Amino acid sequence: MSVLQKIKRIDGFKIITSPAVMFVFLLFAWMLIVYFYNALPAFVREGLATYFKNVWQATEEASKEHYGLLAAIWGTVYTSIIAILVALPLSIAYSVFVIDYAPKKIKNALIVLSDVMAGLPTIIYGIWGVFVLVPLLQKYVMFPLHKHLSFIPIFSSPPITGYSYFSAGILLGIMVTPFASAIMREAYQMIPFTYREAAIASGMTRYEATKTLLGYIKPAIFSGMILAFGRAVGETVAVSLVIGNTFNLSIGLFSPGYTISSLIANQFGNAFIYEHMLPALYAAGLALFIIGLAVNIAGLYLFRKWEKNVRI
Amino acid sequence: MSDFAIETKKLRIYYGENEIIKGIDLKVPKNVVFALMGPSGCGKSTLLRAFNRLLELNKEARVEGEVLILGKNVYGNGVNPIDVRKQVGMVFQYPNPFPHLSIYDNVAIGLKLNHLVKSKEELDERVKWALEKAFLWDEVKGRLDDYPASLSGGQKQRLVIARALALKPKILLMDEPTANVDPIGTRKIEELLFELKREYTIVLVTHEPMQAARVSDYVGFLYLGKLVEVGLTREIFEKPKHELTEKYVTGVLV
Repeated sequence: MSVLQKIKRIDGFKIITSPAVMFVFLLFAWMLIVYFYNALPAFVREGLATYFKNVWQATEEASKEHYGLLAAIWGTVYTSIIAILVALPLSIAYSVFVIDYAPKKIKNALIVLSDVMAGLPTIIYGIWGVFVLVPLLQKYVMFPLHKHLSFIPIFSSPPITGYSYFSAGILLGIMVTPFASAIMREAYQMIPFTYREAAIASGMTRYEATKTLLGYIKPAIFSGMILAFGRAVGETVAVSLVIGNTFNLSIGLFSPGYTISSLIANQFGNAFIYEHMLPALYAAGLALFIIGLAVNIAGLYLFRKWEKNVRI
Repeated sequence: MSDFAIETKKLRIYYGENEIIKGIDLKVPKNVVFALMGPSGCGKSTLLRAFNRLLELNKEARVEGEVLILGKNVYGNGVNPIDVRKQVGMVFQYPNPFPHLSIYDNVAIGLKLNHLVKSKEELDERVKWALEKAFLWDEVKGRLDDYPASLSGGQKQRLVIARALALKPKILLMDEPTANVDPIGTRKIEELLFELKREYTIVLVTHEPMQAARVSDYVGFLYLGKLVEVGLTREIFEKPKHELTEKYVTGVLV
């Protein structure tokens, strides 16, 4: 084979694209290493307590400093789960309405509106949350629930300020709904017409047919939820405005708390004052990294498994 | 009770401004295979979807005239289309069992939603019955929990037939049921038709005249939205009265 032929066999596009792909992988690995390396002093000093203990002692005397992130990890998971529970029915309802029921004239307006909502800077949601959503929830939802159902553990804590897991979860749910519904809407729209015909021809009502067809796009609903969970876990600004920023470890929905990202955002500015705080914050970031990774991998795994069964 | 399974009176169907079916008076006797044949785009599928009011899924579609199913006008006041569809089952051109439901659930879903069975045993019983009726039971009895993806095209189509039969309809509408099925699967489905017509009235849409000749008792030739000729299959194929029909059955007109 001549040199010329060899040169011709080289795929130019492959040469251009592979460094970009490599770069993404390297970046990922690099970030993981940086976080782990910088968090290491915290692990050495506190051991597993870094993640499994709720303590936050920031003092000028370095030997008395102790940091355990359990409250923030709990707050992140708790608020994100609330967010998912809020976003799931909202986004399904929105998708079905837009595709099946909305008159042609307002259909596109609704789609654009939800896409705009998805792109709004989160501080806008945060401010709205502080001045509108939290007072409303406090007055009309939290107080009544606490008053009448306080024997149920999740309603037992008094909604003193309104800033709480509950407020953060609801706000997050509203924020992630446009993301989740964008995926579901696409999938719902792409269901072949023949399945709709099959459902209706089998004597199903419109509601039953819709329910059956939603079963068909379950993986899309699932992916939408994973994506929403990912956004909720990472959301920082809006959450730190409404969660109360307190090292609290409570199942009570109306207690104030912390999330990992709000903790980092709040504490990073003065971390340099203390000797051991920065590694703890890096450890917090690493936890966020791991949660995000775990959720996405679990989601992909379940999705693949489903996909394998239900090929058309 | 009428002597006919299906009867249409001055039936006209429009999509927006376009008239697709141009005044059809048709009588389908009970317990026969009635083939509706004609070239693509002549309105066969549209006509078929008027019989179970499936056209209502299309917002553009408009129906004028009457369709009598067992003597009752399905477009009359106060008729619930869902009741019509329980009497008139349908099989489609593309084998469309619900891919996310198991073989069992595909047959059971209509029964469950319409509360047609009282117990789990009765449901099992009915699912088995429908699959047997569709000549599919022996091939799937060991794997009812599998998804339809594991079935061949012909098996999928027989599953769809079982899904329709489970509701115990009186009439089966079949919209080119073998168009996406291989020759062996096609033969099985055609054999099934002979069996099913003892208890059901079958309206079969087909664009192959040979299939109509093989399986039907009566045939209607539809051309550009009009019913050109109707009659006993043998008569239509042996001595067609209309020139267009003759051209179509001899393969000159496509």
